[in-house]
Amino acid sequence: MSEYIKLDSEKISEAVKTIQDFGGTGILKCVQCGACSAVCPGVKAGFPVLCRLLIKKVLNGQLEEIIEETSTWGCQACNRCTEICPQGVRPQEVVFAFRRYQANDLAFSTSAMTSQMNLHSYGHAVFTDATELRKKVGLPPEAPTSAYNEKAQKEIQTLLENSPMGELGLY
Amino acid sequence: MEKLGLYLGCNIPFKAPDIEQSFRKIFPALGVEIEDLEGATCCPAWGTAPSFDLDTWCTISSRNITLAEDKGIDIMTGCNSCYGVMNEAKHFIEDSPDRKKRVNANLKTIDREYKGTSNVFHVSHVLYEKVGPEKIKESLVYSLDGLKVAIQPGCHILWPSDVYPVQEKNSFFPTILKELTQALGADVPHYSRLEFCCGMGGMRSTDVEKSLKLFTDKLMSMKEEIDPDMIVTTCSSCFLQFDMSQQILKERGVIDFSIPVFYYTQVLALALGFDPAQVAAISQTPRDEMIAEIQSDKRKIQK
Ligand code: SF4
Ligand code: SF4
Repeated sequence: MSEYIKLDSEKISEAVKTIQDFGGTGILKCVQCGACSAVCPGVKAGFPVLCRLLIKKVLNGQLEEIIEETSTWGCQACNRCTEICPQGVRPQEVVFAFRRYQANDLAFSTSAMTSQMNLHSYGHAVFTDATELRKKVGLPPEAPTSAYNEKAQKEIQTLLENSPMGELGLY
Repeated sequence: MEKLGLYLGCNIPFKAPDIEQSFRKIFPALGVEIEDLEGATCCPAWGTAPSFDLDTWCTISSRNITLAEDKGIDIMTGCNSCYGVMNEAKHFIEDSPDRKKRVNANLKTIDREYKGTSNVFHVSHVLYEKVGPEKIKESLVYSLDGLKVAIQPGCHILWPSDVYPVQEKNSFFPTILKELTQALGADVPHYSRLEFCCGMGGMRSTDVEKSLKLFTDKLMSMKEEIDPDMIVTTCSSCFLQFDMSQQILKERGVIDFSIPVFYYTQVLALALGFDPAQVAAISQTPRDEMIAEIQSDKRKIQK
Protein backbone atom coordinates (compact mmCIF):
# COMPACT_ATOMS: atom_id res chain seq x y z
CA MET A 1 0.00 0.00 0.00
CA SER A 2 1.43 3.37 -0.84
CA GLU A 3 1.27 6.16 1.63
CA TYR A 4 -0.86 9.18 0.70
CA ILE A 5 0.17 12.50 2.12
CA LYS A 6 -2.19 15.40 2.22
CA LEU A 7 -0.12 18.49 1.63
CA ASP A 8 -1.10 21.49 3.69
CA SER A 9 0.71 24.70 2.77
CA GLU A 10 0.47 26.18 6.26
CA LYS A 11 1.95 23.07 7.79
CA ILE A 12 4.71 23.10 5.20
CA SER A 13 5.76 26.69 5.85
CA GLU A 14 5.68 26.07 9.58
CA ALA A 15 7.86 22.95 9.24
CA VAL A 16 10.36 24.71 6.98
CA LYS A 17 10.57 27.70 9.31
CA THR A 18 11.09 25.45 12.34
CA ILE A 19 13.99 23.65 10.69
CA GLN A 20 15.52 26.87 9.39
CA ASP A 21 15.30 28.44 12.85
CA PHE A 22 17.13 25.45 14.31
CA GLY A 23 19.99 25.88 11.79
CA GLY A 24 18.93 24.07 8.59
CA THR A 25 18.92 27.28 6.58
CA GLY A 26 19.58 25.73 3.14
CA ILE A 27 16.64 23.32 3.09
CA LEU A 28 14.64 25.12 0.38
CA LYS A 29 17.48 24.75 -2.11
CA CYS A 30 17.04 20.95 -2.22
CA VAL A 31 16.05 19.46 -5.60
CA GLN A 32 15.73 15.90 -4.22
CA CYS A 33 18.52 14.53 -6.43
CA GLY A 34 19.56 11.99 -3.78
CA ALA A 35 23.33 12.52 -4.12
CA CYS A 36 23.57 13.01 -0.35
CA SER A 37 21.81 9.75 0.52
CA ALA A 38 24.04 7.85 -1.89
CA VAL A 39 27.16 8.69 0.14
CA CYS A 40 25.56 8.66 3.61
CA PRO A 41 26.93 5.97 5.97
CA GLY A 42 23.80 6.34 8.11
CA VAL A 43 21.55 5.42 5.18
CA LYS A 44 23.94 2.59 4.26
CA ALA A 45 23.75 1.18 7.77
CA GLY A 46 19.94 1.26 7.72
CA PHE A 47 18.87 4.60 9.21
CA PRO A 48 16.63 5.67 6.32
CA VAL A 49 15.32 9.09 7.36
CA LEU A 50 18.46 11.15 6.76
CA CYS A 51 19.55 13.47 3.97
CA ARG A 52 17.11 13.42 1.02
CA LEU A 53 14.26 11.57 2.74
CA LEU A 54 14.39 13.66 5.90
CA ILE A 55 14.36 16.82 3.79
CA LYS A 56 11.43 15.49 1.76
CA LYS A 57 9.39 14.79 4.85
CA VAL A 58 10.06 18.27 6.21
CA LEU A 59 9.20 19.81 2.82
CA ASN A 60 5.94 17.85 2.94
CA GLY A 61 5.18 19.38 6.33
CA GLN A 62 5.43 16.01 8.12
CA LEU A 63 7.42 17.34 11.08
CA GLU A 64 5.19 15.96 13.82
CA GLU A 65 4.88 12.57 12.16
CA ILE A 66 8.60 11.95 12.38
CA ILE A 67 9.38 13.46 15.76
CA GLU A 68 10.17 10.04 17.27
CA GLU A 69 12.30 8.99 14.28
CA THR A 70 15.67 7.64 15.49
CA SER A 71 17.57 7.94 12.18
CA THR A 72 18.83 11.43 13.00
CA TRP A 73 20.57 10.10 16.13
CA GLY A 74 22.45 7.62 13.95
CA CYS A 75 23.89 10.50 11.89
CA GLN A 76 27.68 10.57 12.14
CA ALA A 77 27.89 14.30 11.42
CA CYS A 78 30.45 13.22 8.83
CA ASN A 79 29.30 15.81 6.29
CA ARG A 80 29.80 13.64 3.23
CA CYS A 81 26.32 14.88 2.30
CA THR A 82 27.36 18.52 2.66
CA GLU A 83 30.45 17.96 0.52
CA ILE A 84 28.58 16.26 -2.31
CA CYS A 85 25.35 18.29 -2.47
CA PRO A 86 25.27 20.18 -5.79
CA GLN A 87 22.78 22.72 -4.43
CA GLY A 88 24.59 23.91 -1.31
CA VAL A 89 21.82 22.65 0.98
CA ARG A 90 24.30 21.45 3.66
CA PRO A 91 22.06 18.47 4.53
CA GLN A 92 23.99 17.67 7.73
CA GLU A 93 22.89 21.04 9.05
CA VAL A 94 19.28 20.09 8.28
CA VAL A 95 19.73 16.75 10.07
CA PHE A 96 21.12 18.50 13.14
CA ALA A 97 18.41 21.15 12.99
CA PHE A 98 15.89 18.32 13.08
CA ARG A 99 17.74 16.75 16.01
CA ARG A 100 17.48 20.06 17.87
CA TYR A 101 13.77 20.16 17.12
CA GLN A 102 13.46 16.63 18.51
CA ALA A 103 15.67 17.34 21.52
CA ASN A 104 13.69 20.43 22.41
CA ASP A 105 10.64 18.19 22.54
CA LEU A 106 12.70 15.75 24.63
CA ALA A 107 12.41 13.18 21.84
CA PHE A 108 15.87 11.76 22.32
CA SER A 109 17.17 8.53 23.74
CA THR A 110 17.78 8.44 27.50
CA SER A 111 21.22 7.03 26.72
CA ALA A 112 22.13 10.56 25.62
CA MET A 113 21.59 11.80 29.19
CA THR A 114 24.84 10.48 30.69
CA SER A 115 26.97 12.52 28.32
CA GLN A 116 24.99 15.70 29.11
CA MET A 117 25.45 15.10 32.86
CA ASN A 118 29.18 14.40 32.39
CA LEU A 119 29.57 17.56 30.33
CA HIS A 120 27.97 19.56 33.11
CA SER A 121 29.93 17.94 35.98
CA TYR A 122 33.39 17.53 34.46
CA GLY A 123 33.28 19.52 31.23
CA HIS A 124 33.68 16.21 29.37
CA ALA A 125 31.00 14.18 27.58
CA VAL A 126 33.18 11.11 28.10
CA PHE A 127 34.80 10.88 31.49
CA THR A 128 36.27 7.95 33.39
CA ASP A 129 38.79 7.93 36.19
CA ALA A 130 41.94 7.24 34.21
CA THR A 131 44.41 7.97 37.02
CA GLU A 132 45.98 4.50 37.00
CA LEU A 133 46.05 4.24 33.21
CA ARG A 134 47.77 7.62 32.95
CA LYS A 135 50.36 6.75 35.60
CA LYS A 136 51.05 3.48 33.80
CA VAL A 137 52.11 5.31 30.64
CA GLY A 138 54.19 7.84 32.54
CA LEU A 139 51.79 10.79 32.50
CA PRO A 140 50.66 12.94 35.46
CA PRO A 141 47.56 11.27 36.96
CA GLU A 142 45.42 14.35 36.35
CA ALA A 143 44.94 15.52 32.77
CA PRO A 144 45.31 19.32 32.40
CA THR A 145 41.65 19.70 31.42
CA SER A 146 38.45 20.88 33.09
CA ALA A 147 38.10 17.43 34.71
CA TYR A 148 40.56 18.55 37.42
CA ASN A 149 40.08 22.30 37.24
CA GLU A 150 37.39 23.86 39.43
CA LYS A 151 37.46 27.24 37.74
CA ALA A 152 36.89 25.63 34.34
CA GLN A 153 34.05 23.50 35.72
CA LYS A 154 32.39 26.57 37.17
CA GLU A 155 32.69 28.28 33.77
CA ILE A 156 31.08 25.46 31.83
CA GLN A 157 28.33 25.09 34.41
CA THR A 158 27.54 28.80 34.16
CA LEU A 159 27.38 28.58 30.37
CA LEU A 160 25.18 25.46 30.35
CA GLU A 161 22.82 26.53 33.11
CA ASN A 162 22.15 29.89 31.44
CA SER A 163 21.57 28.28 28.04
CA PRO A 164 18.41 26.81 26.50
CA MET A 165 19.88 23.42 27.46
CA GLY A 166 19.54 24.49 31.09
CA GLU A 167 15.87 25.31 30.49
CA LEU A 168 15.25 21.77 29.23
CA GLY A 169 15.96 20.55 32.76
CA LEU A 170 18.89 18.41 31.68
CA TYR A 171 20.91 19.22 34.80
CA MET B 1 60.42 26.41 17.30
CA GLU B 2 56.76 26.54 16.38
CA LYS B 3 54.44 26.50 19.41
CA LEU B 4 50.95 24.97 19.42
CA GLY B 5 48.24 24.52 22.06
CA LEU B 6 47.58 20.81 22.66
CA TYR B 7 43.84 20.23 22.84
CA LEU B 8 43.23 16.73 24.25
CA GLY B 9 39.45 16.26 24.02
CA CYS B 10 37.93 13.37 26.03
CA ASN B 11 38.88 9.99 24.50
CA ILE B 12 42.62 10.54 24.44
CA PRO B 13 43.33 11.67 28.04
CA PHE B 14 40.87 9.23 29.66
CA LYS B 15 40.73 6.17 27.40
CA ALA B 16 43.95 6.22 25.40
CA PRO B 17 46.54 8.25 27.33
CA ASP B 18 49.29 6.36 25.51
CA ILE B 19 48.24 8.36 22.44
CA GLU B 20 48.60 11.56 24.51
CA GLN B 21 52.04 10.40 25.62
CA SER B 22 53.04 9.76 21.99
CA PHE B 23 52.17 13.42 21.16
CA ARG B 24 54.24 14.63 24.10
CA LYS B 25 57.24 12.60 22.92
CA ILE B 26 57.24 13.11 19.15
CA PHE B 27 56.42 16.79 18.72
CA PRO B 28 59.35 18.24 20.69
CA ALA B 29 61.61 15.67 18.97
CA LEU B 30 60.42 17.00 15.60
CA GLY B 31 60.78 20.66 16.52
CA VAL B 32 57.22 21.53 17.53
CA GLU B 33 56.71 22.89 21.04
CA ILE B 34 53.39 21.95 22.64
CA GLU B 35 51.70 23.84 25.39
CA ASP B 36 48.74 22.51 27.39
CA LEU B 37 45.44 24.37 27.16
CA GLU B 38 44.66 24.15 30.87
CA GLY B 39 40.97 23.90 31.67
CA ALA B 40 39.86 22.87 28.18
CA THR B 41 36.52 21.06 28.07
CA CYS B 42 34.85 18.71 25.61
CA CYS B 43 34.70 20.19 22.10
CA PRO B 44 31.53 19.71 22.78
CA ALA B 45 30.80 16.29 21.23
CA TRP B 46 28.12 16.04 18.54
CA GLY B 47 25.68 14.23 20.85
CA THR B 48 25.77 17.02 23.43
CA ALA B 49 25.34 20.77 22.82
CA PRO B 50 25.38 20.58 18.98
CA SER B 51 22.29 18.33 19.19
CA PHE B 52 20.45 20.79 21.44
CA ASP B 53 21.31 24.38 20.69
CA LEU B 54 23.50 25.99 18.05
CA ASP B 55 24.53 29.05 20.07
CA THR B 56 25.40 26.94 23.15
CA TRP B 57 27.55 24.70 20.97
CA CYS B 58 29.33 27.73 19.50
CA THR B 59 29.81 29.21 22.99
CA ILE B 60 31.40 26.07 24.46
CA SER B 61 33.61 25.51 21.42
CA SER B 62 34.72 29.12 21.36
CA ARG B 63 35.51 29.04 25.08
CA ASN B 64 38.08 26.36 24.24
CA ILE B 65 39.41 28.47 21.39
CA THR B 66 39.83 31.50 23.72
CA LEU B 67 42.26 29.42 25.82
CA ALA B 68 44.62 29.36 22.83
CA GLU B 69 43.86 32.96 21.88
CA ASP B 70 44.94 34.04 25.37
CA LYS B 71 48.33 32.48 24.68
CA GLY B 72 48.50 33.82 21.12
CA ILE B 73 48.89 30.35 19.60
CA ASP B 74 46.97 27.97 17.32
CA ILE B 75 45.29 24.76 18.49
CA MET B 76 46.30 21.21 17.65
CA THR B 77 43.80 18.42 18.27
CA GLY B 78 44.31 14.67 18.04
CA CYS B 79 40.64 13.81 17.69
CA ASN B 80 38.89 14.16 14.33
CA SER B 81 35.55 14.97 15.98
CA CYS B 82 37.05 17.77 18.07
CA TYR B 83 38.70 19.10 14.91
CA GLY B 84 35.38 19.03 13.04
CA VAL B 85 33.24 20.40 15.87
CA MET B 86 35.52 23.35 16.65
CA ASN B 87 36.14 24.29 13.02
CA GLU B 88 32.43 24.11 12.25
CA ALA B 89 31.64 26.20 15.32
CA LYS B 90 34.12 28.78 14.01
CA HIS B 91 32.33 28.67 10.65
CA PHE B 92 28.92 29.25 12.27
CA ILE B 93 30.31 32.13 14.37
CA GLU B 94 32.24 33.83 11.56
CA ASP B 95 29.30 33.41 9.18
CA SER B 96 26.91 35.47 11.26
CA PRO B 97 27.81 38.73 13.01
CA ASP B 98 24.65 38.34 15.11
CA ARG B 99 25.68 34.92 16.32
CA LYS B 100 29.16 36.22 17.13
CA LYS B 101 27.55 38.93 19.27
CA ARG B 102 25.36 36.41 21.09
CA VAL B 103 28.27 34.02 21.65
CA ASN B 104 30.40 36.82 23.04
CA ALA B 105 27.54 37.95 25.29
CA ASN B 106 27.45 34.39 26.69
CA LEU B 107 31.22 34.31 27.08
CA LYS B 108 31.15 37.66 28.88
CA THR B 109 29.37 35.98 31.80
CA ILE B 110 32.61 34.06 32.42
CA ASP B 111 34.90 36.98 31.48
CA ARG B 112 35.97 35.64 28.14
CA GLU B 113 35.88 36.94 24.59
CA TYR B 114 36.18 35.06 21.31
CA LYS B 115 38.26 36.98 18.78
CA GLY B 116 38.77 34.42 16.03
CA THR B 117 42.56 34.75 15.98
CA SER B 118 43.50 31.09 16.60
CA ASN B 119 43.26 28.35 13.98
CA VAL B 120 42.32 24.77 14.81
CA PHE B 121 44.61 22.17 13.20
CA HIS B 122 44.72 18.40 13.45
CA VAL B 123 47.82 16.49 14.54
CA SER B 124 48.12 15.01 11.05
CA HIS B 125 48.09 18.48 9.48
CA VAL B 126 50.84 19.67 11.79
CA LEU B 127 52.93 16.63 10.89
CA TYR B 128 52.25 17.04 7.18
CA GLU B 129 52.45 20.80 6.74
CA LYS B 130 54.66 22.07 9.56
CA VAL B 131 57.02 19.13 10.05
CA GLY B 132 56.77 17.45 6.64
CA PRO B 133 57.29 13.85 5.46
CA GLU B 134 60.96 14.56 4.62
CA LYS B 135 61.88 15.58 8.15
CA ILE B 136 59.98 12.59 9.53
CA LYS B 137 61.95 10.30 7.21
CA GLU B 138 65.27 11.81 8.29
CA SER B 139 64.45 11.44 12.00
CA LEU B 140 63.61 7.72 11.96
CA VAL B 141 65.53 5.26 14.09
CA TYR B 142 63.58 2.23 12.81
CA SER B 143 62.13 1.69 9.34
CA LEU B 144 58.77 0.13 8.52
CA ASP B 145 60.19 -1.01 5.20
CA GLY B 146 58.21 -3.92 3.74
CA LEU B 147 55.32 -3.65 6.20
CA LYS B 148 51.87 -3.23 4.70
CA VAL B 149 49.58 -0.65 6.26
CA ALA B 150 45.85 -0.05 5.80
CA ILE B 151 45.15 3.59 6.60
CA GLN B 152 41.97 5.03 8.09
CA PRO B 153 41.87 8.84 7.83
CA GLY B 154 38.37 9.17 9.39
CA CYS B 155 35.51 11.47 8.41
CA HIS B 156 35.84 14.69 10.36
CA ILE B 157 39.16 15.87 8.98
CA LEU B 158 37.80 15.60 5.44
CA TRP B 159 34.30 17.03 5.28
CA PRO B 160 32.95 19.68 4.94
CA SER B 161 36.21 20.78 3.33
CA ASP B 162 35.09 24.39 2.90
CA VAL B 163 35.33 25.14 6.64
CA TYR B 164 38.73 23.57 7.28
CA PRO B 165 42.10 25.34 7.38
CA VAL B 166 43.85 22.35 5.73
CA GLN B 167 42.30 20.49 2.81
CA GLU B 168 43.07 17.39 0.79
CA LYS B 169 43.36 17.85 -2.99
CA ASN B 170 40.40 15.47 -3.32
CA SER B 171 38.67 14.72 -0.04
CA PHE B 172 37.19 11.49 -1.41
CA PHE B 173 40.74 10.25 -2.19
CA PRO B 174 42.70 11.59 0.77
CA THR B 175 46.51 11.33 0.62
CA ILE B 176 47.90 13.12 3.71
CA LEU B 177 47.89 10.07 5.99
CA LYS B 178 49.12 7.93 3.12
CA GLU B 179 52.16 10.12 2.59
CA LEU B 180 52.85 10.35 6.32
CA THR B 181 52.76 6.55 6.57
CA GLN B 182 54.92 6.10 3.49
CA ALA B 183 57.45 8.42 5.16
CA LEU B 184 57.92 5.66 7.77
CA GLY B 185 58.98 3.33 4.97
CA ALA B 186 55.74 1.33 4.87
CA ASP B 187 53.72 0.21 1.85
CA VAL B 188 50.29 1.82 1.80
CA PRO B 189 48.19 0.17 -0.91
CA HIS B 190 44.81 1.58 -1.86
CA TYR B 191 41.64 -0.32 -0.91
CA SER B 192 38.21 0.46 -2.25
CA ARG B 193 36.57 1.58 1.00
CA LEU B 194 39.43 3.86 2.05
CA GLU B 195 37.26 6.86 2.87
CA PHE B 196 34.31 4.87 4.26
CA CYS B 197 32.95 5.45 7.75
CA CYS B 198 34.00 2.96 10.48
CA GLY B 199 30.63 3.19 12.27
CA MET B 200 31.85 4.80 15.51
CA GLY B 201 30.21 7.93 16.90
CA GLY B 202 26.50 8.64 17.11
CA MET B 203 25.75 5.52 15.14
CA ARG B 204 27.46 3.27 17.68
CA SER B 205 25.61 4.77 20.65
CA THR B 206 22.27 4.67 18.77
CA ASP B 207 22.46 1.15 17.33
CA VAL B 208 25.53 -0.95 17.97
CA GLU B 209 24.50 -3.67 15.49
CA LYS B 210 24.21 -1.20 12.61
CA SER B 211 27.56 0.27 13.61
CA LEU B 212 29.17 -3.19 13.62
CA LYS B 213 27.69 -3.96 10.21
CA LEU B 214 29.36 -0.90 8.72
CA PHE B 215 32.58 -1.68 10.57
CA THR B 216 32.63 -5.26 9.25
CA ASP B 217 32.27 -4.00 5.65
CA LYS B 218 35.21 -1.68 6.14
CA LEU B 219 37.42 -4.24 7.90
CA MET B 220 36.72 -6.96 5.32
CA SER B 221 37.53 -4.55 2.52
CA MET B 222 40.96 -3.98 4.10
CA LYS B 223 41.54 -7.67 4.78
CA GLU B 224 40.41 -9.08 1.46
CA GLU B 225 41.88 -6.43 -0.79
CA ILE B 226 45.26 -5.73 0.81
CA ASP B 227 45.69 -8.08 3.82
CA PRO B 228 47.55 -5.47 5.90
CA ASP B 229 50.09 -6.09 8.69
CA MET B 230 48.50 -3.28 10.67
CA ILE B 231 45.89 -0.52 10.57
CA VAL B 232 46.97 3.07 11.14
CA THR B 233 44.59 5.95 11.82
CA THR B 234 44.74 9.59 12.86
CA CYS B 235 41.29 9.56 14.50
CA SER B 236 40.99 8.54 18.15
CA SER B 237 37.36 7.42 17.65
CA CYS B 238 38.27 5.24 14.67
CA PHE B 239 41.15 3.86 16.76
CA LEU B 240 38.76 2.79 19.52
CA GLN B 241 36.30 1.27 17.04
CA PHE B 242 38.97 -0.80 15.24
CA ASP B 243 40.53 -1.84 18.54
CA MET B 244 37.33 -2.79 20.42
CA SER B 245 35.12 -4.08 17.62
CA GLN B 246 37.59 -6.54 16.12
CA GLN B 247 37.44 -8.34 19.48
CA ILE B 248 33.62 -8.42 19.40
CA LEU B 249 33.59 -9.84 15.86
CA LYS B 250 36.18 -12.42 16.87
CA GLU B 251 34.17 -13.55 19.89
CA ARG B 252 31.09 -13.87 17.69
CA GLY B 253 33.01 -15.95 15.19
CA VAL B 254 32.47 -13.42 12.39
CA ILE B 255 36.23 -13.10 11.78
CA ASP B 256 39.13 -15.46 12.48
CA PHE B 257 41.94 -12.91 12.25
CA SER B 258 42.97 -9.81 14.09
CA ILE B 259 44.94 -6.85 12.74
CA PRO B 260 46.98 -4.67 15.12
CA VAL B 261 45.76 -1.06 15.27
CA PHE B 262 47.79 2.07 15.96
CA TYR B 263 47.16 5.77 16.10
CA TYR B 264 49.66 7.29 13.64
CA THR B 265 51.75 9.10 16.26
CA GLN B 266 52.16 5.80 18.12
CA VAL B 267 53.84 4.06 15.18
CA LEU B 268 55.84 7.21 14.56
CA ALA B 269 56.94 7.27 18.23
CA LEU B 270 57.95 3.60 17.98
CA ALA B 271 59.88 4.32 14.79
CA LEU B 272 61.64 7.19 16.59
CA GLY B 273 62.69 4.72 19.29
CA PHE B 274 60.42 5.75 22.17
CA ASP B 275 59.41 3.29 24.89
CA PRO B 276 56.35 1.20 23.90
CA ALA B 277 55.34 0.99 27.59
CA GLN B 278 54.65 4.73 27.35
CA VAL B 279 53.57 5.39 23.78
CA ALA B 280 51.70 2.20 22.80
CA ALA B 281 50.69 0.41 25.99
CA ILE B 282 46.89 0.17 25.85
CA SER B 283 44.92 -1.93 23.38
CA GLN B 284 42.43 -4.76 23.29
CA THR B 285 43.56 -6.08 19.92
CA PRO B 286 47.01 -7.56 20.50
CA ARG B 287 49.89 -5.57 19.02
CA ASP B 288 52.96 -6.58 21.04
CA GLU B 289 54.36 -8.69 18.21
CA MET B 290 54.09 -5.81 15.78
CA ILE B 291 55.71 -3.44 18.28
CA ALA B 292 58.61 -5.88 18.71
CA GLU B 293 58.86 -6.19 14.92
CA ILE B 294 58.99 -2.41 14.44
CA GLN B 295 61.69 -1.96 17.08
CA SER B 296 63.73 -5.02 16.03
CA ASP B 297 67.46 -4.70 15.40
CA LYS B 298 67.09 -5.63 11.75
CA ARG B 299 64.94 -2.52 11.22
CA LYS B 300 67.44 -0.15 12.79
CA ILE B 301 68.51 2.48 10.30
CA GLN B 302 72.28 2.73 9.89
CA LYS B 303 73.21 6.40 9.95
S1 SF4 C 1 22.28 16.29 -2.53
FE1 SF4 C 1 21.43 18.29 -1.97
S2 SF4 C 1 19.90 18.74 -3.55
FE2 SF4 C 1 20.38 16.54 -3.70
S3 SF4 C 1 18.81 15.55 -2.41
FE3 SF4 C 1 20.60 15.90 -1.12
S4 SF4 C 1 20.22 17.87 -0.14
FE4 SF4 C 1 18.82 17.73 -1.88
S1 SF4 D 1 26.44 13.86 8.08
FE1 SF4 D 1 24.86 12.41 8.69
S2 SF4 D 1 23.35 12.62 7.11
FE2 SF4 D 1 25.21 13.50 6.27
S3 SF4 D 1 26.25 11.84 5.19
FE3 SF4 D 1 27.05 11.85 7.27
S4 SF4 D 1 25.76 10.38 8.40
FE4 SF4 D 1 24.67 10.93 6.50
